[in-house]
Amino acid sequence: MIDEQMAVFIGSGLRLAVPIIFAATGEMLSERAGVLNLSLDGMMLMSAFTAALASWATGSPLIGVAAGVLVAMAVAAVQAVLSVTLRANQLVVGIGFNILALGSTTFLYREIFGPLSRDPIPGFAQLNLPWLAHIPVIGPALANQTGLAYVSIVMVVVTWLILKYTSFGLAVRAVGEDPRAADKAGISVAKTRYLGVLYAGILAGFGGAFMSVADSNTFTENMTKGAGYLAITAVIFGGWNPWYTLAACLLFGFATALQFLVPALQLDVPVALLLLLPYLLALVAIAGFVGKSRQPSALTIPFERGG
Amino acid sequence: MALLELSGLTKRFGAFTALDDISLLIERGEVHCLLGENGAGKSTLCNLVFGVHRPDGGTMTLAGEPFDPRGPAEALQRGVVMVHQHFSLVPNMSVAENLMLGRASAVLKPQDIIVRMEQLAAEYGLEIAPEARIDELSVGERQRVEIIKCLLGDPQLLVLDEPTAVLQPDEIDALLAICRQVALRGKSVILVTHKLGEISRVADRTTVLRQGRIIETVGMEGADIRSLVRSMVGRDVQSAGSVLAAAVDIEGKTPAKPTNAAGPVSPGEAVLQISDLVYRDPHGVPRLDGLSLTVGTGEIVGIAGVEGNGQTELGLILAGLAAPSAGAIVVGGTSVAACTPQEITDAGVGIVPEDRHAVACIKELSVAENLFLGAIGKFSRFGLLDKSARRKAAQTMMRDFDVRASSPDVSMASLSGGNQQKAVLARELSLDPLVFLLAAQPTRGLDLGAIEAVYNRIRAARDDGLGVLLISSELEELMAVSDRIAVIYRGKLVGELAAGAFSREAIGAMMSGHAHV
Repeated sequence: MIDEQMAVFIGSGLRLAVPIIFAATGEMLSERAGVLNLSLDGMMLMSAFTAALASWATGSPLIGVAAGVLVAMAVAAVQAVLSVTLRANQLVVGIGFNILALGSTTFLYREIFGPLSRDPIPGFAQLNLPWLAHIPVIGPALANQTGLAYVSIVMVVVTWLILKYTSFGLAVRAVGEDPRAADKAGISVAKTRYLGVLYAGILAGFGGAFMSVADSNTFTENMTKGAGYLAITAVIFGGWNPWYTLAACLLFGFATALQFLVPALQLDVPVALLLLLPYLLALVAIAGFVGKSRQPSALTIPFERGG
Repeated sequence: MALLELSGLTKRFGAFTALDDISLLIERGEVHCLLGENGAGKSTLCNLVFGVHRPDGGTMTLAGEPFDPRGPAEALQRGVVMVHQHFSLVPNMSVAENLMLGRASAVLKPQDIIVRMEQLAAEYGLEIAPEARIDELSVGERQRVEIIKCLLGDPQLLVLDEPTAVLQPDEIDALLAICRQVALRGKSVILVTHKLGEISRVADRTTVLRQGRIIETVGMEGADIRSLVRSMVGRDVQSAGSVLAAAVDIEGKTPAKPTNAAGPVSPGEAVLQISDLVYRDPHGVPRLDGLSLTVGTGEIVGIAGVEGNGQTELGLILAGLAAPSAGAIVVGGTSVAACTPQEITDAGVGIVPEDRHAVACIKELSVAENLFLGAIGKFSRFGLLDKSARRKAAQTMMRDFDVRASSPDVSMASLSGGNQQKAVLARELSLDPLVFLLAAQPTRGLDLGAIEAVYNRIRAARDDGLGVLLISSELEELMAVSDRIAVIYRGKLVGELAAGAFSREAIGAMMSGHAHV
């Protein structure tokens, strides 16, 4: 009985962590290049909505994901133009996008789905990998995930490899740390940052699409519930390191999953408090760790070439 | 055929013409020095050649082909490399990573870089550990990394913008030797400096710039140093005073004592007493390691040292901008260790900080506001600011200290560096009470006229009985102004020389940790 509940808890913890892992991994790379995308939540929300819409319209969740990623990339592209080329304040731009995303998805959802909100949205099936299922306790939880969940872990590895072993990764780190030096070494600061923001957009798109077509097979208003903000927190908590960021995302995922485990164990803890837990944890993480981990020196600072 | 040909090059920043109709040939295999005061346009010229800025008029030709770089990347492609005044290395990365930046293939290949570094070490004697992190290296070592970075791609033209300003004497010798080595291999070198001593040792030809124009280009064989100085400052250096001679480092002409002929009051009781001062930076690295020092009334004590040996931290601690880890600082009987800047000011300490822009003034505020930043309450009436009284007081101060601005109401940012610094001096020297002045790098970035004014002010303060601590990276400046020079090395004072016994060699040896007195 306990084993079964633990398996459910681990399974839902992982599932809830996936969108945050996607978004945080992309955001980490973008921040390493010096651009903070506060619009991450907006990108995810827009992607979640678009994925649901496209999947519903075409019957193919794969097309849904593709559409969601494209929309998130478009938002990222605009964010990049504003914060890299036009050197707008990255935080203000991000907040603007989030409000726009919430408003527009809510409006479009009511317009398009309003009467049809019970229509099922085609989603991905869980993979059920038998070779994973044999592991005790965590096996079933690991095996019964959608394909996208595994992709999120692959993306962490890919991002780590990019940062450590490619010249693009070296350029990203240099641009986020000392753009002037990078510029003088012949690196295009703007191009590197554009690519970083687009990378964050693509992964945030996957994260958002995961929520609607892989996890819940539906769209609800404001369905990200601040997952993008949690992802940004996870990047800080993880000290801009891909593996620690992954750990932070898992922590947030499991903290969210406690709302299923605690009532099942018949513990007397108010559910509202459990719903609050991940956000409380994020606050503690920021307060406790923000001073200790060193952020990229040029984070949120626009670059302008000069003497 | 010349390697680089500039014709009619002009560059304007807003209404200010930084370069005006510059035409110049750089031959292959020559070391070409650019000589000029601060603001003469030397750095701007380099930045045009390296593509950091684009000219407003004129053309460039490199190896016979038109050359119009839109950015450093393009200049690098054409074989033009540059070592900047401010290093362009990413501090938290390793040497190898910095060297791979911008020139590696898609996947990083650290091994290739290490092999190339070994070649350069053999060819030029430029040795450095590839895995060392930049922020753990000394200034001289960082510059070596910059030069290695430049030579990696086998360039045609090496541009060095004031490379010797941050180096200790033996490092300067090594750098000049490398310049000759590079030229011997048929490459060209443009070396920017305002020190004549260096030019006569390394240059094939020298071009003198003043106020954005070329005054003359001369071959160095049989060149007259005096006439170069005259071209550079626009007047005869001897009539301008020995300070100028000191500032441009004319060899053998640095007077030890005569500049102090006005006569210091013989130093009286101690006004500043520092004992066993220890400071660890936020990373736990010891920056000051048991430093003790006394400054008496009516004396100027100079602190010499290669940058990064703790003098910056000493300045910050005295200003109350950093708290010492251990040790005592007493000014006129009051302990000021780990006090707030306000308490330190109240104890009678005037501060001319190293970083003028970040710490000493608020550029967006007016000159008058800056002059009375610490004394806002002085001009209030019924809780309201009495601007006309402050304006009047500011005008008096500006006249007394020769701060040239069209009015006290213009912004600090609109003043030249020299006038900003004079305003800072005016404010600090008008404090009441005032018993001690800290001047950290007080002439950095100033032109010769302003440097002279700053020196005179500091001497006058000394003659009025103040104790003065002068922290400077310019040895010539210290020797021209100080009554006593103490040398800082790795957070400790390692030696001291009295006026009359100053020698570049002795101080240089102590600065590099080679000798103790």
